[in-house]
Parts: sequence; structure tokens; C-alpha cells
Amino acid sequence: MLETMQQILQGVLERLRYQMITYLPPLMAAAITLLGAYLIALLARWMLYRIFKGITIDRFLRRSGLAFMFDRSGRLRATRLAAEGAYWLILLAGFLLGLSVFNTDLTTQMTQRFVLLLPKLVVAGLILVAGAWLAQYLGRGTLVWAVNEGLPSPRKMAATVRLVIMFVAVVVAADHLDFARNVFLAAFIILLGAGALAVSLALGLGGREAVKRYFQEKSESGRDESERSLWNHL
Amino acid sequence: MAESHLPVDARRAVESIKRADVVIGIPSYNNARTIGHVVQAACVGLAKYFPDLVGVIVNSDGGSTDGTAEAVLAARLDDANLLMLSTPLYGTHRLSLPYHGIPGKGSAFRLIFQMAKELQAKACAVVDSDLRSITPEWFDLLLRPVLLAGYDFVAPYYHRHKYDGTITNSIVYPLTRALYGKRVRQPIGGEFGLSTKLLDRYVVRDDWDTDVARYGIDIWMTTIAIAEGFRVCQSFLGAKLHDAKDPGADLSAMLHQVVGSVFTLMQEYERVWRSRRGSEPVELFGFRFDVGLDPIPVNVERMITAFRRGCEELSEIWSVVLEADNFHEVRRLGGVSRAEAGFHVPDELWTRVVMDFACAHKQGILGRAHLLKSLTPLYLARVASFVMETRDLVSSEVEEKIEQLCICFENNKPYLELRWGRERTPVTEQAGTPATTVAGGAPEVRLEA
Repeated sequence: MLETMQQILQGVLERLRYQMITYLPPLMAAAITLLGAYLIALLARWMLYRIFKGITIDRFLRRSGLAFMFDRSGRLRATRLAAEGAYWLILLAGFLLGLSVFNTDLTTQMTQRFVLLLPKLVVAGLILVAGAWLAQYLGRGTLVWAVNEGLPSPRKMAATVRLVIMFVAVVVAADHLDFARNVFLAAFIILLGAGALAVSLALGLGGREAVKRYFQEKSESGRDESERSLWNHL
Repeated sequence: MAESHLPVDARRAVESIKRADVVIGIPSYNNARTIGHVVQAACVGLAKYFPDLVGVIVNSDGGSTDGTAEAVLAARLDDANLLMLSTPLYGTHRLSLPYHGIPGKGSAFRLIFQMAKELQAKACAVVDSDLRSITPEWFDLLLRPVLLAGYDFVAPYYHRHKYDGTITNSIVYPLTRALYGKRVRQPIGGEFGLSTKLLDRYVVRDDWDTDVARYGIDIWMTTIAIAEGFRVCQSFLGAKLHDAKDPGADLSAMLHQVVGSVFTLMQEYERVWRSRRGSEPVELFGFRFDVGLDPIPVNVERMITAFRRGCEELSEIWSVVLEADNFHEVRRLGGVSRAEAGFHVPDELWTRVVMDFACAHKQGILGRAHLLKSLTPLYLARVASFVMETRDLVSSEVEEKIEQLCICFENNKPYLELRWGRERTPVTEQAGTPATTVAGGAPEVRLEA
């Protein structure tokens, strides 16, 4: 009896030792890799914050409105973008390297898939950033124009412009990634149709009089030269 | 360096005329109704005051379809006795040429200046084509200081209705005077006399394809003349009465082009304006007399409504442009209706708003077009306040008000200098207490660290 128990315990210990010999070194290697990557990421971010001077990019961020989109105070800087980007990229590389240490089918497959997907992800990200920039720029242009023209609900108009452009950017990015292509395309078509229908109905039923009144006022103020006269004198 | 490329028609005209002593330039776009009178005045002016000089009148046209070119070429003077001329009336060369490039007054001027340079003119005068009050004496007053007294730039000086020239009175004159230290009262007047030396300087510049091509041209000419040390004077021309500008013309676009040019030139001439303090009068020629002026009806309610809309809708833009204190003050004004009779944009606030926009323009905060166009509601608020304040005042009292504003701009120059190179204090929900106080000039300059 005692001998049997001893054999069982020995077996357990043997298996534990085997598992430790098999898995602990790669686990430790993965942890060390990840720790190394983390430290390098921290160092890279620290260095970029201090060394990188992205004056041109800073100006682009401010003028395009992207700085204000991502940070309400408008203080987003190229240095921060580059430093944060490098930090997360190195961390991601460390994670992938850590996974590859295990050398199993699953981890290899995961790493391979991710590496193959990476360029597409980067392009999709760029599409989204470009869309965000365009949405911000045109939205702000619409807002200022609508206010100066005295059009109703300028902020809603600007928000609609931003939303439509961002939605188009998301559809294009999703299409590029082959991600739920049909769903996004169908949603886009449905929303576009619904929007057109809503505008038609709103104008046809509720807003007909308002639109008529608005254009009437506009044409009257155009005719009333004396009222505009001050505006025309430099 | 921009090269002088004359269009084929202009080149042929230069080859035919060969040289001229004086060139008179008239930019136009669909001004058939008034341009004949302007050309006649120019013809008489040249014949009466400069009978020994060869004069050329160049109409630089932006593709008019109403017969402007025909009106220019048809304008003639058959009756010399009627004009009381003692000298025989010689025909003056009259040309109507289409300009190329960006449609606008600046592009029209560019062709005129190139023509004057090619014709080796000793002096050039430019006048608007929609003037109703122009007389032959204007050409004497614009050209004589250049031809006989050695001046390079003659700016106009007119009597205008108190509500006329509001961009000039509220922004361009005070700011230009505070920056460059010369009291040129009508820096964007539209009528100027120019020397060959200054024309050469204009022609070689490479910024003709900016706002300079449009309404920015007048302030561009004036600023270059003052900042680069050319000899500048003014001539009193009487009253300026002209046709209403294009009714479709967009106020915010005009404001954008004029103010954008001022701000852009501020960057180019930073060293100049930083080195100048106060201001000095500029010599004024011509006999001053009082004239009757066309009244200008004003809709104050509409302007205040436009401002209040701006307050409601454009806060997100103004909050990143204006200093925190100025932003909160503007927001407070947005809550005041005219009925409460408390609507008043103080000189101090307006001065700092303009300076904040100039700094934002320099620092590249937001796109420049959006930034400048978002100034429109604030400008309308200032005009409305000015109109309410001066409703019962005569022109000399109004002039005194404008003088006070100019002094305010001059006193706030240290604020501009301090703000120019640094980022603004971020706007918080409540007006923050200034962390530092810097004494500079008459009013103290308060900025958060």
C-alpha cells in the first residue's frame, strides 16, 4: 500500500518535473522577452519625448484639427504621437516574440497571422486617420460657413458632415481588412437611402414651410441693398 | 523672384507705345456704368496737370461681360473749352487688357505694374473703377508728390461716412499704425500713387498668388511701402463715393483676405514691428474741405444676432484661439442683448481679440481660412457696438473714438509681443486667475505662465 502511494507520488513529481522542464524555461524566456520589450519600449518613449522635434507634424496636427479631435485642449503633439506609437509597437513585438518562444502550432499560427495582417492593419489605420482629418476639416468648414451664412443648426450640420465622412472611412477600412464587408456595405447603402428618405420626408411634410420661409428671407435680404450696404464697405 | 510675363496683348501694346512718363491703372470687373467717368477724369487730369508728360491709361479687366472694355475705349474728351484747359488736349493712350491668373483686384494690379515697368514710367497711379466722386484733381494729388517731391507711396485720405470703411477703422488702420508706427489713415483706400522704385519692388515679389491677388492687395502695398522704409505721404482727395460693391460678395471672404494679408505680413516684418514704438503722423497734401456724404443705413440687430449665433456655435474654435480671459469676456457679451442696452465691445477687449487671432494665425492654430472666417461674428459685434456708440456723434467726434482705439492698439503692443511666440493660456470653465503679471506699456500685460 505504502509502496503504491510512493509510486503514485513519484509519478506525480516526475510529471511535474517533466512539465517544469518542458514549459518553465520557455515561459521564463517569454517573460524575460516581454520584460525586455517593456523596458526597451519605456526607453524608446522616454528618448523620443526628449529628442524628437516634430515641428512640421505639430503644425499639421494643429491646422488639420486632428490635435483637437484627439485632445480637446489641442495640445496633442507629434512627439507624443511618435513616443506612444513606438512604445506600443515595441511592446507588441515583444509579445509576439514571447509567443514564438513556445514554438507550438497554435502560437506559431497566431504569430504568422498577425504578421500577415499587420500591413493591412496599418493601412486601415491610416485610412481611419485620413478620414478623421477630412471629417474634422470639412466639419469645421461647414460650421463656420453655416454660422456666417445664418443657416439653421450649424452644429448639427457640421456633426452630420463629420459622421458621414467617418462612416465612409470606416466602410473603406473594413473593406480593406475584408472584415464584415457585406455588413458594412449594406449598412452604408441602407443609411444613405434612409438619410435621403428622411430628408425628403422632412422637407416634404414638416419643413416645407420653413424652407420656403428661409429662402424667401434670403432673397428679400439680397434685394434689400441698403441693409447689406455696411457689409460691403471696407 | 517672380518674372514679368506680360500677356500677348499687353506685350504688343508696350511695343507700340514704347515708353510713357505716367501710367494710370484702373482695375475693373463689370463696371461699364462708372468706368467711363473715371477714364474721362484721368484723361483730363493728365492733360490739365501733366501736359508735357506722356500718359497711358491701362484698364486691367477681369473678363467683364457688360461692355466695360468698350466704355473705356469710348471715353473721350471732345470739348477742351468746357474743361477750361489752357493747353491743347492731346489724346491719351487708353488700353483695356484682360489680366490672367487668380480673379481679383490684386491680379489686375499686377498687370498694371508690369505694364508701368515695361513702359519705364516715372510714376503710376491706381484708382478704382466704381468711383462716382473722382475728379481730375485726384490724379494731380496722387502723382505730384511722386513726380516732384520724391515720395514713393501716396496713400489716399478722404472724408467717409462714419459707418463707411469699418474694416479699415476697426482693424486695419489701428493695427497697421500700432505695428509699423505710421499713421496712414486709409491703408486700404484703393487709390494710390507709386514711384518706379516701389513698383520694381512690388513686381519682383513672389507672393502674388496668395490673398494679395484679391482684396489683400491694398494692405499689402501699404505695408511693404511702410515696413521697407519707402517715403510715404497722403493726399486729401475729398469724399469717396462709389457704387456698392458686388452684393453677392461675401463679408467673411473679404475680411479673410484683408485681415489674412495683414497677419501674413506681420510674420514677414516681425523684426520691423518689434523694433517700433508708438506712431508718427504722415505728411498730408491737398486742401482739406468738408463734403456731404451718402448716408449708410445699418442694421445693428442683425449684426448682434450674427454675433450671438457665433457665440453659441463657434465657441469650440474661439476657445482655442483666444486667451482665457478674453474668451470668457466674449462669452459674457454673447449673453447680453441689445435691449438691455449693455452691449458694448470695449476697445481693450477688441484689441486683444484681434491680437489673439494674429497670434493664432502665426502659430498655425486651426486652418487659416477657418480661423479668419470665424472672426466675422466678432467683427460684427465690434461694428454693432461702434455704431451704437457713435450714433449721435459728428464725424470729428467719431474720428476721436477711432483715435482712442488706435492708442489702445499701440498700448497693447507688449501684449502682442508676449503672446506672439508662446502658446495661449488654455480655457477652463471659469476665468482663471492670472499667474503672472508683466508690466509693459501703459496697460499691464497679464498672461498665465
